[in-house]
Amino acid sequence: MEIEIISFGQITEFINNQKIEVNGIADTNSFKQYLEDRFPALKGIKYKLALNKNIVQQNTEITNQATIAIMPPFSGG
Amino acid sequence: MSEKKIKNIFVNGPIAPDFIADSIARHSSKTAIGGHSIFMGQVRKDEINGKFVAAITYTAYEELALEKMHQIREEIFEKYPLNCMHIYHSLGTVKTGEICLFVFTSSAHRKPAIAACSEVVDRLKVELPIWGKEIFEDETHQWKENS
Repeated sequence: MEIEIISFGQITEFINNQKIEVNGIADTNSFKQYLEDRFPALKGIKYKLALNKNIVQQNTEITNQATIAIMPPFSGG
Repeated sequence: MSEKKIKNIFVNGPIAPDFIADSIARHSSKTAIGGHSIFMGQVRKDEINGKFVAAITYTAYEELALEKMHQIREEIFEKYPLNCMHIYHSLGTVKTGEICLFVFTSSAHRKPAIAACSEVVDRLKVELPIWGKEIFEDETHQWKENS
């Protein structure tokens, strides 16, 4: 399955926008686990995911060709 | 009432004082209005560990931010009897002393305009996916955090 990752704020400093090919990732909880294994720097940061432009509030199924944004705490204004 | 028409709020670079003046002037024909409330956010020269902030560079997840802003706008119009509401936020680099946020609400009497303006500012800081990177005078940086 192909997932497009886009990152924002300080997370852009260690995760580039990229397309990844993964197997066995069915939902956002397992995707988080995958991300934190692959990018240990994430573990020290509060972050939220947005799956296909919807902010993830609870564990959500991921389907092929999903776009997932990784977002640190907002600091606009 | 309003169809789903997503308005852009983003401006490249600082928000010019002339733009704000023009925006005020354009309301003179809207004679049902009796009160305006305006909030302007300005980039502050904070001192952090002996270094001064020279600018903030803003980035956003624009599509998500605009959708979220649309939703906030609808909710605010539902809650307060406003005649109009305008919101502008900078993207890119804004130097200290320059304006990075402009929120402008208008109503027949002042109280709804004031309350709505304050609520919009509070909500957009928390809910919009926008990030500020504070650039110091020596060109190092740190990521801003809203308190």
